[in-house]
Amino acid sequence: MTILDIRNVSIDFPTSRGVVHAVSDFSLSIPQGRRIGFIGESGSGKTTTALAAMRMLASPGYVSAGEIHLHSLGRTNVLEISDEEMRRVRLKKISYIPQGAMNSLNPVMRIENQIWDGIVAHEGAVEQAELQRRSRAVLASVGLPEHVGSLYPHELSGGMKQRVCIAIGVCLEPDLIIADEPTSALDVITQRQVMQTLRDVQGKIGAGLILIGHDMGLMAQSVDDLAVMRLGKLVEFGPVRQILENPQQAYTRELISSVPLVGGESFIQSTPEVLRGPPGPLLQFESVTKRYGALTALHPLSFTLDGEVPKIISVVGQSGSGKSTMGSLMLGFTPPTGGRVLFRGQDINRLSAAEQLGFRKDVQAVFQDPYACFNPFYRVDHALKFPFRRFGLAQSQAHVQSAMEEACHAVGLDPALVLRRYPHQLSGGQRQRLIVARALMLSPKLLIADEPVSMVDASLRATILKNIHDLKDKHGISILYITHDLATAYHVSDFVMVLYHGHVVEAGPPKDVIGAPQHPYTRLLIDSIPWPDVSRDWGAAEDGQRGLDALSDADVARPALRGTIPGFDLTVGA
Amino acid sequence: MGIIPRDYLANRLVTLLLTVFIAATLIWIIPRLSPIDPAEIALGRMAAGAGSVANSEAILAQLRAQLGIDQPLAVQYGKYLWGVLQFDFGLSTASFPTPVSVLIANALPWTLGLMLISLIITFVIGNLLGAFMVWEHTPRLWKVVIPAAMVFTSIPPILSGLLLMWIFAAKLQWFPLTGAYGLTVEPGWTWTFAQSVLYHGFLPALSIVVVTFGFWALGMRGLMIGVQGEDYTTLAKAKGLRPRYILYKYMIRNAILPQITAFALKIGLLIAGQVLVERIFAYNGMGKLLYDAILNQDFPVIQGVSFVIILMTAVSVFLVDLVYPFIDPRIRHGS
Repeated sequence: MTILDIRNVSIDFPTSRGVVHAVSDFSLSIPQGRRIGFIGESGSGKTTTALAAMRMLASPGYVSAGEIHLHSLGRTNVLEISDEEMRRVRLKKISYIPQGAMNSLNPVMRIENQIWDGIVAHEGAVEQAELQRRSRAVLASVGLPEHVGSLYPHELSGGMKQRVCIAIGVCLEPDLIIADEPTSALDVITQRQVMQTLRDVQGKIGAGLILIGHDMGLMAQSVDDLAVMRLGKLVEFGPVRQILENPQQAYTRELISSVPLVGGESFIQSTPEVLRGPPGPLLQFESVTKRYGALTALHPLSFTLDGEVPKIISVVGQSGSGKSTMGSLMLGFTPPTGGRVLFRGQDINRLSAAEQLGFRKDVQAVFQDPYACFNPFYRVDHALKFPFRRFGLAQSQAHVQSAMEEACHAVGLDPALVLRRYPHQLSGGQRQRLIVARALMLSPKLLIADEPVSMVDASLRATILKNIHDLKDKHGISILYITHDLATAYHVSDFVMVLYHGHVVEAGPPKDVIGAPQHPYTRLLIDSIPWPDVSRDWGAAEDGQRGLDALSDADVARPALRGTIPGFDLTVGA
Repeated sequence: MGIIPRDYLANRLVTLLLTVFIAATLIWIIPRLSPIDPAEIALGRMAAGAGSVANSEAILAQLRAQLGIDQPLAVQYGKYLWGVLQFDFGLSTASFPTPVSVLIANALPWTLGLMLISLIITFVIGNLLGAFMVWEHTPRLWKVVIPAAMVFTSIPPILSGLLLMWIFAAKLQWFPLTGAYGLTVEPGWTWTFAQSVLYHGFLPALSIVVVTFGFWALGMRGLMIGVQGEDYTTLAKAKGLRPRYILYKYMIRNAILPQITAFALKIGLLIAGQVLVERIFAYNGMGKLLYDAILNQDFPVIQGVSFVIILMTAVSVFLVDLVYPFIDPRIRHGS
């Protein structure tokens, strides 16, 4: 039985530069209880199409043609009903689970109130005891304990907040759930937990599901049918197995092959001739620890990274594992609680002002959010020029220009197209590549890349990682790659450290650590990766938590050290 | 949440007292940097009244002794601080020998009444209008009228006061021209007196509201635009909540938070901002007291009024600090 019919829908966004056709002639029927994935790059119209069914298009977008029928309303076109009728459809008939679970809950309202107000808005006054009972039941159905109801959003972790959003989305048992990249901000273990929870409750209430995303692996593990979208058009539609195993369109094949896989074909071409630096230790940790109050973010750790042959060292782990703390210790943003961080033999927390300037030039960073890294007031070339001048590298106006152009070419951008633009005129991928270019212009010795590709489209990740890999080979820059994505760490790095609660639990060359993990925690991480292979079992919602609970203190204290590579010595413990 | 931890309370109280102490000291230092001798001003005033003054040197010395400015600075400062603790700012030089504290005690209730009422009205109206400028369900006409009304914000209060006086007091004669209450009314806790006070306070309050609501409206507009783009507002809409509920419980409830801090800061500043309004309406409040004191170079009164302004600002900031964790659960006492 069909629950929602999208017929020949076109969506336009009138702008000052003419009309943008965000979606054109899109048709799709959603049967009851079926899970349908909408996959495509950012801007392909997948979210826009789904939001049109809820009549929640961002202004000034509007449906310029077509009809959307919701069958439980008696085949009415939802585009024609009144605002008040539409309001009653939302949550009751079609619910929405948003992308940014971090900010999707009202920060000044308790969780239970945010479940109750939805119930009351559709059912009128409901007795307090009844509300209480229902919010508890729905929280329990997404695996959250009772007391969560009386907490405020900031007291929950990202995964818990996302599960609250699912609880809100299913509390009125709608016909259709639209989940917009519900797990894109979560690490693999939490992702599996949240996604499988969503599937379980969706199956229980028999609702249809539209899952919007760009991760082919997640789709393979989560949906029945897949709709591939590109530039506002439906490129291909069919059962997920058929699309994965026998894609008809070139674009679909491209999407599938762009996913880096553990053990799969490498997307990196290494140059035989690697640019060498001067010998001697570049970065050293001497029994470094970091505590925040009672919480130990990083347990004693020592390593020496030699600068002669540049290397990429990956640090992997879940959110809260201490990997970003490690990054900020290396950048000198936060001093260690114990031990010393040395750059070329000098304690970076005891540098004179002049030495600090040199240190800042030599150690550059690329952060996660390419949207937050530019001052929106300036054109992007300002962000490139400014540090170049500040560090006294600019010889003349022409020199600055040529350095910028060279850096743009190195990351595969056309300087004529990007340099004179404002940040908001560029895509996330372009911005992130500019950040890499900016770092490159200063010819640093060390680059700290903290989740550099987690916010860009899957199809662009490989390209940006190639750029970063080139920094190592062609420019002799050593790189610390901090990530929760094991597949990319597997391909780009020379050495991998797996972090859990501030402990290194497994370390060694990636082919060993990620390819054939020994530590139970690393194995849990690998098992949590959604594989773009329908036959592979992804496990259940509880597997992640069960795996974490099974980790004993002894497991954590006994790291699996899987061999060494020349130029990087690691000692775990004091 | 819950009750306020004692450590936090003590910490805030110390900050409050320290702020007041530093402010009191500055108020004492600043006039002493000026070359003007208050005794000479008082003498000059006597001379102006009597034509000439005999024994001017002796009288000057006597005045200095009376004002306490013949003593060493340290002693003066000590006496001053001791006085401040008892709200004793010495004697007014202009209305000699009335104590400053008496002048303030007479003026303060009028200003507090006028000020708090007009500030609260402005805060409510300004924030609501600011929110309506952003809300998607505001009737179109309102969206045109509200920004147009912002024009009033650019009128100086002195002009808006005169304009309101001209329209409502002189032409329409709905309200009295000046004064805080009717000349024939006996002050006291009576209904007639209260009526008279409200009747007289209406125009001054209105002139303050008209020129200051724009501050809140524009600030609120900016905050509301931010909140409107938040994911929780989108989810609230996707939950099918009623538009009015979203406006109050999701949008205004979050956008108002920084405005509350601004409200506390405004309380102190408003005495200063009200000076001209009180002057025009001959309203015997703190503003008029300060105005007259500046004209007459009446330093003790200026000191006293300044101290009251600072004290009020510091106390309201202190109160907001205590209350804030209850209105924003993300802020915790002591962290």
